[in-house]
Amino acid sequence: MIQILVRYCTLFVLTLLVLAIMSFSLAYLFPGDTLENLTGLVPQNEMQRAALEQQFKLDQPYIFQFFYYAGNLLIGDWGYSFTSGLPLREEVGIAMPATIELATYAMLMALFVGIPLGYYAGIRSYSTSDHLINTASITTYSFPVFWFALLLILIFSLQLDAAPLSGRISLLYNIEPISGFILIDILLSDIENKTLAFKDALSHLALPTFSIGAIATASMIRITRRSVIDVKHRPYIAAAISRGLSSWQIFFRHILRNALLPILPLMAIQITTLITNAMIVETLFSWPGIGNWLIQAIYQRDYPALRIGMMAVSTVVITLTILVDLFNRMIDPSREKYERATV
Amino acid sequence: MSHGLVKRLLSCLCTALLVASCAKQNKQAFYNTGIIYCSESNPVTFNPQLDTSSTTSDASSHQLYDRLLDFDPESGRIVPSLASSWLVSDDGLTYAFQLRKDVWFHTTHYFTPTRNFNADDVIFSIDRWRLRSHPYHYVSGGRYPYFESIGLAQNIASVERINGYRVEITLKRRDSSFLANLATDFAVVLSEEYANQLAQLGTPSKIDELPVGTGPFKFDSYRKDHFIKYLRHNNYWRDQMIEARTNGEVLIPDNALDSANQDFEKERGRGSTAEYHDEDSPVVEQLIFDITPRSSLRLAKLMTGECDATAFPAQTELEVIRTKEDLTLAEKPGLNIGFWAFNTQRPPFDNPDIRRALAAAIDKNTLLEAVYFDSATRAKTLLPAASWAFQNDADDTAYNPVLARKLLANAGVEQGFSMTIWAMPVERSYNPNATKMAELIQRYLRDVGVEATIVSYDWATFRRHLQEGLHDSVLIGWSADNGDPDNFYRPLLSCGAIPSGTNRAMWCSEDYDKLLNDALQTDDIEERTAIYRQVNRLLYERLPLVPIAHAYRYQAYRNELEGMNINPFGGVRFGGVKKAL
Amino acid sequence: MPQYSLYDEEFHPSPWQRTWASFKASHIAMLGLIMLAFFVVCALFAPIITPYDAVEQNIDGLLIPPSWLANGSISHLFGTDALGRDLFTRIIYGCRITLGTAFITVVLAMLVGVSLGTFAGMLRGVRSSIANHLLDALMAIPTLLIAIIIVAILGTGLVNSMWAITLALIPQFVHHTRSFVRAEMKKDYIVASKLDGASKWQLFVHSILPNMTEMLVVQGTLALSIAVIDISALGFLNLGAQSPLPELGVILADGLDVAYLAPWNVAVPGMAIFFMVLSINIVGDGLRSALKKRVSY
Repeated sequence: MIQILVRYCTLFVLTLLVLAIMSFSLAYLFPGDTLENLTGLVPQNEMQRAALEQQFKLDQPYIFQFFYYAGNLLIGDWGYSFTSGLPLREEVGIAMPATIELATYAMLMALFVGIPLGYYAGIRSYSTSDHLINTASITTYSFPVFWFALLLILIFSLQLDAAPLSGRISLLYNIEPISGFILIDILLSDIENKTLAFKDALSHLALPTFSIGAIATASMIRITRRSVIDVKHRPYIAAAISRGLSSWQIFFRHILRNALLPILPLMAIQITTLITNAMIVETLFSWPGIGNWLIQAIYQRDYPALRIGMMAVSTVVITLTILVDLFNRMIDPSREKYERATV
Repeated sequence: MSHGLVKRLLSCLCTALLVASCAKQNKQAFYNTGIIYCSESNPVTFNPQLDTSSTTSDASSHQLYDRLLDFDPESGRIVPSLASSWLVSDDGLTYAFQLRKDVWFHTTHYFTPTRNFNADDVIFSIDRWRLRSHPYHYVSGGRYPYFESIGLAQNIASVERINGYRVEITLKRRDSSFLANLATDFAVVLSEEYANQLAQLGTPSKIDELPVGTGPFKFDSYRKDHFIKYLRHNNYWRDQMIEARTNGEVLIPDNALDSANQDFEKERGRGSTAEYHDEDSPVVEQLIFDITPRSSLRLAKLMTGECDATAFPAQTELEVIRTKEDLTLAEKPGLNIGFWAFNTQRPPFDNPDIRRALAAAIDKNTLLEAVYFDSATRAKTLLPAASWAFQNDADDTAYNPVLARKLLANAGVEQGFSMTIWAMPVERSYNPNATKMAELIQRYLRDVGVEATIVSYDWATFRRHLQEGLHDSVLIGWSADNGDPDNFYRPLLSCGAIPSGTNRAMWCSEDYDKLLNDALQTDDIEERTAIYRQVNRLLYERLPLVPIAHAYRYQAYRNELEGMNINPFGGVRFGGVKKAL
Repeated sequence: MPQYSLYDEEFHPSPWQRTWASFKASHIAMLGLIMLAFFVVCALFAPIITPYDAVEQNIDGLLIPPSWLANGSISHLFGTDALGRDLFTRIIYGCRITLGTAFITVVLAMLVGVSLGTFAGMLRGVRSSIANHLLDALMAIPTLLIAIIIVAILGTGLVNSMWAITLALIPQFVHHTRSFVRAEMKKDYIVASKLDGASKWQLFVHSILPNMTEMLVVQGTLALSIAVIDISALGFLNLGAQSPLPELGVILADGLDVAYLAPWNVAVPGMAIFFMVLSINIVGDGLRSALKKRVSY
């Protein structure tokens, strides 16, 4: 047990180190002058250049620069954005939770809708209802997320006027970001129209969550269904049937848990897809998340922001992935080595 | 037991229903307290002195600040604002402004004013861009593009304080467009007290980031790419004036005040004073700029009611807005001109006959249809109809390919002569699609035996090469900052505008410059108009450029907004706008 | 598959024939295959099929509605866009560009992924552990992020977005190859070859690779559908192909500007991407279940 923990901790630290090296080297890979990319300032003369170089430690050897950079990352001094002039930590601190919030609700939707449907389809495999579910899931799964979101906007916002299409909440509300999750922040805040604000936030959440969630649900159905069918053909099920267990007993005693095991590692892959989709959908719904922020940064060639944004997003994704893996190892020690099934 | 449960459930349901119905009322009341405007981009700064882009002035000049003078949006005449009246000396060199009393600057979370607006603020605001020695001149870059382009700083001899509420400005030369320049979006009045406070704290650049002004709204917060929030300025002087009037008091016994009030009334829509304290229509407490670069998304937000008004609807979307019953599309001829300029320093375009021939080869009406989708008027001269010097009966070139061929043949231009048309790479209201226009012109020119090639670069390179004079002809335009005709004629075609890079025809004529200078020597509108008629005649004869179109300015908003008004002279303004769902 | 034959020379279908037979049995899968074939034909013969030039503008015919609407005309099947370009032509060329680049991307990623994966699969000990962990870390980085970084370094463009997607697809191939090689290396026939004195290279070429093709085909179709979606997403976000290049995502983004006036400019390219991905997914699914059936018999 402890060995596993230590192993995962080393893995985590090692990966972060690699990421830090990558994001550090980005400063040298971006086109143009490294100093200008880092500072956003164009030095007017050699004196100024030398001063700036000293300030940003560019006159030191690379290895020293790297440790300086890594140190700054650790203490939370992430530099400033070119375009807004705000500290990047603050900007990421606002944008990141917004994305995570969106992805979390979508994930919950995938779990609570996708897994039961997947089980149902798997148990009734090759029946009409299975075919229906399967067709629906492969269709949804084939939607490009940006087009799907556009369709939702067209139908629910513009035609039916049922849900708003941009932002997290009407801008008229002043919600202090405490946790960064809008729903929690509303509950924590002391504004007058709390219920109103909460409803407003929910209606803003509806479309973006659904557009990511539907696609995640579709792949969750496919994964679960396949896993259930796999388990159904195992010899121990045949044994159970021959022992005369009812189909409900077989389901609860054998299929339910055994089919769940291979799904868990696949969730790790889902996280990546989910965050990617969330980042794309954010730009359509003007959701103030990290994807929107990064894409603005690339349009404006805000290099420090890109560097930190890349570091932040990959850290979050990798942390989640590793946690899921670890969890998976904990509940399924039979798995000798870290493995993944196919989608 | 179960009976009790049902009862409890029922009562719960009742409460829920009650809450829901209450919530609906609350909801309306709440949403009425704020106006959301979908703007197109991030402002560069919150001080319009520093930037000429309309995004910056929209977000600041009429929301946060006031000017000494204003343009009346209906007539285009100059009306009092912070200056309640003014006097011009007989030689036209000295301007004395009487300032309004009881005007308060914003009280915000970063500044609390201890005194009200006075002469020091005016002097500070003007000296900041005028004097290089001023401590605030180089704060935030030290460039004041609008004032530089018209050379105003060089023409002001002094700005002096006569007493606390009287300022005197002395010019070196007569300039009849001076008052108009003071009424533009860029000539805002900043707070000197705030500047001093910031200087003491050692953070002078905050003056342009956390602005303080006297305008109807005060700055609250700004998140780049997302929103700008403003709160109502409770001590706004125009509101106080209305209060005073309804209470039957007269605050300032000033002659100019009455006219100011009347103009103000007009601006706010009739009878607004009476409604002002109506319980049913709550005061607008918040103004929010929702920054939405994509025009289709702005329209979508307007349709769902997430925005109450939107900036720059695209030409292709106008029809859609017109068909929606809950939306209003306001249009006004804008103060702009889109034109086709020839590089008159390059042969054979130095020959007016050739220029006339090319002008006769194109059909302007088709250009208007295809490029502007009929959202523009045909331009005869440089001046649009919104300007007071507009000449309705000016001469105009006509589509005549036969004449064009003849002129070209007479001038010795062979068939198959080739030239370049430069098409600007960006959308502007005066030319929403220059490439498309260039392609159309290309086809017309082919009919008269001229082979045209279309040239385009990215915007920065494009402007640099234009300034170097590498073009044969260019499709570009001009948006004016005030209604004064000098604002069109001087930057576009005077000799002095060649080096500063606004004279795209590279045309220099002594006659023309002399006429323009003569026009500035008089304040008599009739006299000036007569001079500009001569200018138009001269331009028609020499034809350094072909005026094509004056595009309309559009603003789309929801019907709930009352008192929205397009201001042809500068940016959008929300002072006095109300919302009733 | 029981066979009753009176003759001694029984017909033994090859594994591929058997897969094909069970694939054919599924109507849906066949439908998907026909759809995919249609897209492939469009992509291959785009210049022959299309009536117009994909980038030439026509000022006289702006925003002509598609032919099935009242005021549409048959000369422009899907209507025209805001610059008068024929939408049908652009969509066909869009299929060519999107599907073509996606295919190239997948092949590239497969080549690199399989070689790396085999290498990792044959490695043992600490080196293997480090390689694998790094790989897993890389696999977790979202495609969009890789694309953003590549765009920041190299600038926008179709080719650069192809690099980004190749990079993002490689880890999956590495991963599957590695697990496959791992599992295979333990099998008896490999041990037998080893005992025969086969070198690692010979082992790979003669024993493992032939067994791997099926896995690669299934993974390839999966990767292809991901690649199509990603390429068009990058084009849509203005990070990949640039207008006026007729890439489906770019056409969609262009159409968004006139969405109210000409909704077909958004609907048609979106449908094209959707059906392309759908057909690839259906074929992939069909292939997979066909293979599974074959193995289980």
